[in-house]
Amino acid sequence: MKIIVAIKQVPERDVRIRIDGAGRWIALDDVEFRMNESDAYALEEALLLREAHGGEVIVLSAGPERVGQTIREALAKGADRGIHIVSDTLADYDALGLARLMAAAIRNEAADLILTGLQSDDLGLGQTGVILAELMGIPHSSLILKIEKADTGLKVLRELEDGWFQHIEMPTPALLTIQSGNTKLRYATLMGIKKAKTKELRAVPADSLGVAPTPVVLLDSLALPSRQKTTQILSGTPAEAAAALVEKLQQEVRVL
Amino acid sequence: MSTVLVFLEAKSGEPTRISLEALAAGAKLASATGAVLAAAMVGTANGTGFSALGAASAIYALDHPLLAHYTADGYTAACVQLISRLQPEFVLFPHTYEVRDFAPRLATRLGRVLISDVTGFQADAGRVTFTRQLFQGKLNGQYRAASPAPCLISVQAGAFRADAPTATSVAIETFVPELDASAIRTAPSEPFRAAAQTVDLSSAPLIVSVGRGIKDEANIALIKDLADALGAELAASRPICDAGWLPMERQVGSSGQTVAPRLYLAVGISGAIQHLVGMKGSQCVVAINKDENAPIFEIADYGIVGDLFEVVPALTAAVRKAKG
Amino acid sequence: MLLAVPPNSTGFASCIASVVLPGLVPAEPLYFSLDEKLLLASLIAAAGWLFWRRFGTVLKRILSARKDADFRLFPLSRRFWDFFREVLCQTKVIRERPLPGLAHALVFWSFLAFVLVTANHIATGFGFGFLDSSGFFSHFYFLFAALFAVACAVSIAGLFVRRFIVRPVWLAHKDHTVSWESGIIAGLIFLLMVTYLGAFFVSDQSMAARLLWWAHTLTLLSFLPLVPHTKHLHLILSPATVFLSRGGFSRIPPLANDDDFGMVTGRDVTQLTALQVYSCVECGRCTEHCPAANTGKELNPREIILGLRGYLNEYGPASEEPLLGRYNSQQAAFQCTTCGSCEFQCPVGIEHLPVIVGLRRGAVNTGEWDDDHGGKLFLALERNGNALGMGQSERDKFVAREELPVFDGSQEYCLWLGCMGGYDPKGREIIRSFVAVMRYLGASYGVLRKEKCTGDPARRLGNDLVFQQLAESNLETFAQNKVKKIVSICPHCVRTIAEDWKAYGTPPEIEHHSEFLARYQSRLPKNGENSTDSTGKTVFHDPCYLGRYRNVYEEPRSVIRANGTLIEAERSHERSFCCGAGGGLAFLGEEQGARVSETRVQQLVATGAATIGAACPFCNTMFRDALASRGDGAPQLLDIAQIAAAALPRSTPESHDAPLA
Ligand SMILES: Cc1cc2nc3c(=O)[nH]c(=O)nc-3n(C[C@H](O)[C@H](O)[C@H](O)COP(=O)(O)OP(=O)(O)OC[C@H]3O[C@@H](n4cnc5c(N)ncnc54)[C@H](O)[C@@H]3O)c2cc1C
Ligand SMILES: Cc1cc2nc3c(=O)[nH]c(=O)nc-3n(C[C@H](O)[C@H](O)[C@H](O)COP(=O)(O)OP(=O)(O)OC[C@H]3O[C@@H](n4cnc5c(N)ncnc54)[C@H](O)[C@@H]3O)c2cc1C
Ligand code: SF4
Ligand code: SF4
Repeated sequence: MKIIVAIKQVPERDVRIRIDGAGRWIALDDVEFRMNESDAYALEEALLLREAHGGEVIVLSAGPERVGQTIREALAKGADRGIHIVSDTLADYDALGLARLMAAAIRNEAADLILTGLQSDDLGLGQTGVILAELMGIPHSSLILKIEKADTGLKVLRELEDGWFQHIEMPTPALLTIQSGNTKLRYATLMGIKKAKTKELRAVPADSLGVAPTPVVLLDSLALPSRQKTTQILSGTPAEAAAALVEKLQQEVRVL
Repeated sequence: MSTVLVFLEAKSGEPTRISLEALAAGAKLASATGAVLAAAMVGTANGTGFSALGAASAIYALDHPLLAHYTADGYTAACVQLISRLQPEFVLFPHTYEVRDFAPRLATRLGRVLISDVTGFQADAGRVTFTRQLFQGKLNGQYRAASPAPCLISVQAGAFRADAPTATSVAIETFVPELDASAIRTAPSEPFRAAAQTVDLSSAPLIVSVGRGIKDEANIALIKDLADALGAELAASRPICDAGWLPMERQVGSSGQTVAPRLYLAVGISGAIQHLVGMKGSQCVVAINKDENAPIFEIADYGIVGDLFEVVPALTAAVRKAKG
Repeated sequence: MLLAVPPNSTGFASCIASVVLPGLVPAEPLYFSLDEKLLLASLIAAAGWLFWRRFGTVLKRILSARKDADFRLFPLSRRFWDFFREVLCQTKVIRERPLPGLAHALVFWSFLAFVLVTANHIATGFGFGFLDSSGFFSHFYFLFAALFAVACAVSIAGLFVRRFIVRPVWLAHKDHTVSWESGIIAGLIFLLMVTYLGAFFVSDQSMAARLLWWAHTLTLLSFLPLVPHTKHLHLILSPATVFLSRGGFSRIPPLANDDDFGMVTGRDVTQLTALQVYSCVECGRCTEHCPAANTGKELNPREIILGLRGYLNEYGPASEEPLLGRYNSQQAAFQCTTCGSCEFQCPVGIEHLPVIVGLRRGAVNTGEWDDDHGGKLFLALERNGNALGMGQSERDKFVAREELPVFDGSQEYCLWLGCMGGYDPKGREIIRSFVAVMRYLGASYGVLRKEKCTGDPARRLGNDLVFQQLAESNLETFAQNKVKKIVSICPHCVRTIAEDWKAYGTPPEIEHHSEFLARYQSRLPKNGENSTDSTGKTVFHDPCYLGRYRNVYEEPRSVIRANGTLIEAERSHERSFCCGAGGGLAFLGEEQGARVSETRVQQLVATGAATIGAACPFCNTMFRDALASRGDGAPQLLDIAQIAAAALPRSTPESHDAPLA
């Protein structure tokens, strides 16, 4: 099975958010970048599938120079080769534009399966995978927890709301977006890093893909939310405190 | 006159609560932009669910045997047809798992990008911007469409307050999309719940966790009652599992399970680091502890300082009452 | 006739007579027939051949192992000093087990004393005896040796009784048997001494002298080939082992090249390791002190060493067979807390930690080790930069709330928070107390805006990749911020920064807060001056990484002495018993057997102390947990910073007096 895994490099999850001078994006100096969390799970699923059925795992990532480091990390964890769509101006694209770039870059690969993360940790639109499926003209399913090979193609386990699940069958080629947390991730090893040095990492300049950045949605402005998380102590008699808590659970936490 | 079209999701024929919230958002948007509100839902026009959509001035029942089970291909095709017929200015969805699955495909087919998981909007001088959260809520972004209508939006659960349902006065129109079974490429099977006997705390949405403050094995029943009332899984700190009062697989922490529920209710747990690392990913932490200096309060969103033997029964009663 | 009667023999009567009156020198036959000489020569050749057949193989195995890439012979002074102390003076042997240790030392010293005697003995057989029995030196020397011989005979008999009749558990093998060959060896040594001493009571001409001479010779020649076949190989190897040791404590060698991932197969066993492995005397000191072995874990440091020996015996150092397999188990390798007791105790200079960490490196660097908790830990270090997987913002909040000044290069000290100080509620209390003391003293300090784990758990668990990334990233932060001096509340941070980071750069000077506190003790109020609460009878627990790893024992005690009454646990100082947290184990799952923390707490509580004084946030968290399960009435647990801070005036002025010099 030939599997492509789309991996986004994002600021580390716990980044100190400051809005940059132009007010368009967060200040990136002093920011460390990581592999997007759900993409790490997508990669793991791909590696497991390859280990079970053979084939090839190709990592795809779009972004500036620094993205190469994340691709190498994926190669170190076991992916076979990488494709880097090189661009310093991805902010000019929207999710559709980005997906078009990715589609153009992998069209000739004729992969059996494309995996993406469910959602990015930074912009978090949670759509790029599904958009890519539509652009490639292939079926998809999202929020996937488990992938098995079936006679007709694939049998996948999809998470539904409130603790429900569902099996879905579909033919290949297909695209799946992977939910975090269902498998155990492997840790990076010294041996992996050393092996990764010899693996192919192809750089594709975004300009060479013939996709114009004409966004259909714009991120106009940014603002820091006013309310910071603090502990609210609910006081009163036990009954009063309990009642106050139930109200919070209904109104704010919305779990009742 | 322009249209705001809201797609609602039905469960057993009834619109879900979050769908009604999306409808309320649609109503607000319609009034802010001077548009009419239209609602659409999968089902048969005579279904009871449709009669509660009184806020809308046009209601469509998307009726087709191929829509009986959700598939992204089926729903996308049906929605594309309704949208091309109505030519709405805005199309709103509740931000559910289904919508996340098909709406981006729908938007792509229309050459648009869904502005997903929106928490609010501003309309001034004909320009509407939508607020959505970035970086897991640590930053708010204002989005707007840069293309001609339609603009597609999905609305976060709880961001808008659902109005009390009002009865419809308009006729419900049946819309039968043209669907081709061969264009539906995925074959879903019946949804199921995870087997009840296996404890999987890591995916439990609600957890009530008990610590050494409970004092005695017999008192665990008190916490069990609360968990049952909430519909939550029962978990514990290590001393409870060490003592064998609850099985090992219910231990949360560095040498137990790592959990990330929507609600983590810690009762009589001090909040040692080994416990914290197992539940720090919880969306909302509530702590009940008699020691106001217990470290658990540092990471709690809500806290009750008091004797658990008084607070927990009161809470169980209050939860039962609220659930009716 | 083989035993020729010497020409001037006066017969049996004189033989009896001379038994009664001991001479000043041992009797030796005056004459050896040619037959005897030939027999002697062939016996020597046979013994030598038997000896070499085994010893040569061992030596070849050792020499054909991989070279130690980082081995430096110089400076020699340390080597000679170690040799003098540990080999010649037998300090470790005696210190840890005084009576049997002394017995062993006496046997060893006797062997030294016998070098000359034995050489002369054999030479005599060929007619070249060089110790002239009438000379003053010979008189003196034979008597000198005789004294040792008596001591040796008594000692070896004592050791025999201990091994075969008293039978301490740590001497037992895996299968609970004691080695029979050590009984035979003991017998031979005893016989050697007796035959030597016996010769003082007979005359040269007597038949008895000849019999004793031959008995002595035969004993000697049976002893020789037995040496390399038994653990008594250490007689030959351990002086070299001690002399050639890597030095330092728990020194983890750098990886030799791009294909070195730690100890994966026989090819990764180095010459030093092989030498050490063959030097083990199976004394079980390592195991006797091992917290893992003492709490029912599979790990047994002696068996780790003997396992490796078994591997080398079966497969040899060129084998591709994995080291973790038949002879050593992965589970055991990952149960080690790296407390260092074994390495500290070993009388023949075996360095266990490079082996244990080496085996872990081999398993982790290749991805072989698959452990839920371990994997989570590594991912937390990779992704969050701290061992607890907490968000950096949690640390920011703490720093802001405590109004800790940010280090900007102008302050004297960089206060290193570490994972526990930055994130653990209890670790933060220690920081808070220490900061109160620093403020009181007017010390100038600041904390880094960003800090990552030192990589200690990754280092000890053998994850070189993560460790290198963390070390390099932190070293860069230090350089950027121009940090010159660091003080830390965590002995693990101190050790890792001071020693282990050296593989990747030059770390700034660092000290543990106990060293800081002890230095300024005279400027701090003593308990009772400002408050009424006293810590009372306080037992201090030596953290492994402060004591054995850093040799700091007195500083924390001086803090306690100033504020309460110091008492000692039975195991203290170098013999302190681990809390169970080290080696990354604090982050791994449940322990097999009893919990180390609970065993240690039991020992500390048994002292009857009102307070347990700790000096490490990891010990602290382990003990807190173990104490809580003991219920009310357990002693209170305080870090030395908390003890020092409790003596400060209630409302501490911003700065008490002039800044520190
Ligand atoms: C201010 C601003 C800054 C932007 N910065 C970036 C940026 O740093 N990087 C960037 O790619 N785009 C950037 N964009 C462009 C674009 O808007 C987003 O990439 C696009 O919306 C993707 O959405 P998302 O990040 O929400 O991904 P989601 O739709 O949430 O992502 C889902 C999955 O798609 C895959 N995926 C997403 N992006 C990539 C990628 N770049 N390479 C490989 N796989 C990917 C991953 O598997 C991911 O899990 C920026 C846009 C603006 C307005
Ligand atoms: C290596 C290691 C691994 C560990 N792994 C884990 C792990 O995976 N999970 C885990 O949980 N722990 C773990 N621990 C143990 C951990 O350190 C703590 O000891 C443990 O979490 C404490 O549990 P607790 O909060 O229930 O008990 P305590 O710390 O004793 O707290 C009890 C709390 O109950 C409160 N209380 C008492 N009575 C009442 C009352 N009537 N009403 C209200 N409140 C009351 C008290 O104020 C107190 O805060 C580990 C420890 C170590 C050393
Ligand atoms: S370092 Fe400590 S735990 Fe590890 S083997 Fe040696 S004595 Fe045992
Ligand atoms: S390793 Fe050292 S301490 Fe352990 S049994 Fe061998 S010689 Fe004794």
